[in-house]
Amino acid sequence: MTTASTTRERVSQRVPLWRDVIVLKWATQLFLLVAVLGTMWFLASQAGDNLRARNINTEFDFLERPVDIQISEGIDTHPDTGGRALWAAMVNTLRLSISGIFFASVLGVVVGLARLSDNWIVRRIATGWVEVLRNVPLLVQMVLIYSALTALPRVGLDTGPVNGWLHISNKGISMPRFFIADGFYQWAVVVLVGAVVGYFVRRHRQAVQDRTGAHASPPLWALGTVAAFGLIGLFVHPIFSWLGPVFGGVADVLDSIPNAVAQVVFAIISVGLAAAWIHRFISSRRSAIGHLSISDDDWFRIAFTALASLAVVVLIARWTGFSAWTLNSGRDLFEVMADKFDVNGAARPFDAMRPDIVQKGKFPNYGTNGLTMSLGFASVFFAVVFYTSAFIGENVRGGILAVPKGQTEAAKAVGLGRGQIIRHVVLPQALRVILPPTGNQYLNLTKNTSLAVAVGMSDMVQVGTTVFNQTGMTLPVVAIWMLFYLSCSLTISVIVNWFNVRMRLVER
Amino acid sequence: MTDMTPTEPTGNQTRDLSGARDMIVCENVSKWYGDFQALDGVSANIKEQEVVVVLGPSGSGKSTWIRCINRLEIHQEGRIVVDDVELTNDLRNIEKVRSEVGMVFQQFNLFPHLTILDNVTLAPIWVRKKPRAEAEAQAMALLERVGIPEQAQKYPGQLSGGQQQRVAIARALAMEPRIMLFDEPTSALDPEMIKEVLDVMKALALSGMTMMVVTHEMGFAKEVADRLFFMEGGQIVEQNTTEMFFSNPAEERTKLFLSQIL
Repeated sequence: MTTASTTRERVSQRVPLWRDVIVLKWATQLFLLVAVLGTMWFLASQAGDNLRARNINTEFDFLERPVDIQISEGIDTHPDTGGRALWAAMVNTLRLSISGIFFASVLGVVVGLARLSDNWIVRRIATGWVEVLRNVPLLVQMVLIYSALTALPRVGLDTGPVNGWLHISNKGISMPRFFIADGFYQWAVVVLVGAVVGYFVRRHRQAVQDRTGAHASPPLWALGTVAAFGLIGLFVHPIFSWLGPVFGGVADVLDSIPNAVAQVVFAIISVGLAAAWIHRFISSRRSAIGHLSISDDDWFRIAFTALASLAVVVLIARWTGFSAWTLNSGRDLFEVMADKFDVNGAARPFDAMRPDIVQKGKFPNYGTNGLTMSLGFASVFFAVVFYTSAFIGENVRGGILAVPKGQTEAAKAVGLGRGQIIRHVVLPQALRVILPPTGNQYLNLTKNTSLAVAVGMSDMVQVGTTVFNQTGMTLPVVAIWMLFYLSCSLTISVIVNWFNVRMRLVER
Repeated sequence: MTDMTPTEPTGNQTRDLSGARDMIVCENVSKWYGDFQALDGVSANIKEQEVVVVLGPSGSGKSTWIRCINRLEIHQEGRIVVDDVELTNDLRNIEKVRSEVGMVFQQFNLFPHLTILDNVTLAPIWVRKKPRAEAEAQAMALLERVGIPEQAQKYPGQLSGGQQQRVAIARALAMEPRIMLFDEPTSALDPEMIKEVLDVMKALALSGMTMMVVTHEMGFAKEVADRLFFMEGGQIVEQNTTEMFFSNPAEERTKLFLSQIL
């Protein structure tokens, strides 16, 4: 007893500040924060002074100024301002990175599984693939692919208009470009109906699966339904042409409604919504046996809702412009819709433009009709995909090997087959191990696309370099680069982390 | 189950299983790991409803033998016939045997990414193609039987070792096996958890399951086993009824082993 009371006394004694762990913790944090901010401020002010002393401009107004840049491909090949040029280059880099990540993942999984194959030849080939690709510098591979591709047949004006679906030459790969045509909106309605039907099909298949346990693949059925509607819609979409006059009629009705009527309707809707909310709120406060308990806070909420709806009514009455504006924009919307549906019955939902060849400067090249993957893009794309697939393949192999042997044995012992073991036991556990390092490979791939400058593909780095050469704005361009690559990396990190959290095993 | 005597087993007094048919037949089974011979001409018949316990020092081939019976290990010589199906390279035979033989491992080997309920229902749903609702009802009944229905929605990592091993037993039973193999089921458990697992195994033996158990639990062997096998160096040194094995072992090596552990 005595020891207990002395302990209590000792605890209640004041701890001196320099021994109090809480105080120490906060003091250290504060000190570090001040130190970091101070250093940053010092560096920034030094840099600013030096830049000013040497008269170096760090404004971003060059984004608005004209530049003379030709971009190899993408949304804009002759951008008129620096900002537009960087924007087009950014789209190119993003296209490379996103498609690269997708195909590198697919190929990487194949490589990883092949390295664990029971088949001796498959295993050897996969090992060779990995060892060669990851031990040769990426730049060398990129240049190699580029020089191999330049050996393709020349493209010439004399070949005339291109009528095929795919055209490959030493200027790249060109495919037809699809775009939406007049019949698209009618087709979209067919797809919308398909989506609704698909929702019910999905619910039905889910019910079947829950009832029988057989694998009824509800999402696949839903997707299939939508796809089927989309496909049939390509031929039958004119059945929705009657929607045009209907929308026109709605527009006319909206047009003929006097503003006063609209005001009254809005006022009724506002009061009605408030009444409905209050009613629901009060019944939610009623207990199971019907006892009603409403606190002061609840009264405040109810009063606030009632007052707000009254305020809306007053506002509509006083400020007639609001209801008129709503009516007008509604009418405009329906008129536009009516227009979109008022098309020739034979109008197709989609159309395609075949690749074409035009004279560009001295040389013939693909025109803008087709969807063209330039030689540069293809070289960078294949190089980063192959290179990264080797690393992802190793991650996949490691992840699968990290699943304990006992797991496969237990799965065999309960009678699961080979495919079932991989799908239900090995892969879900391997993914936990595969994902984090593969996220790093995605980051690397994105950053590696900057090597595109070596094969003359207009990516962020190549265009940025040209921009600062022409404008002299080195620092702002570098800042834009950093910001761009940083946001790409952070986006990838966030996505990968989200998956990681979902995959984490539950432990005590 | 069978036309056997109503089983009010067993203590260590031997049941009369002479009329029962052979469930597991091993004839001259041998296996090598490289130069090392793990099994050396193992021959034994195990009857329907019989409970046998395999004893022996580490590295004597007990686990290898039991793992050959559902072909987690492949024997290189001799024959193994399980419930009239011979284990060969024929995949169909292997799958048939595995779906009739349940196995419980020393390290539990539960699937850590699935809930307890999903661990138990996985094989019935995907191998037996049972409706999910039916599989879950059966799983809950089995979890009830091993005494942990309240853990159904938890994950293996949240359970104690003893609870995990009981789930592993329920998972094996979900396939409605005719034979259960136990490979040192209590060796990785804390002492106070061993009893809860052994109790489940005893109840299982009482229900008439054919069982083959590798264990060091002498109490369990004395109480439940019909017959004991003593192995050393990949050979069966002695097989005897439980009573005879403990009171009057035939071999000198068995006597030595018993004197060391009892």
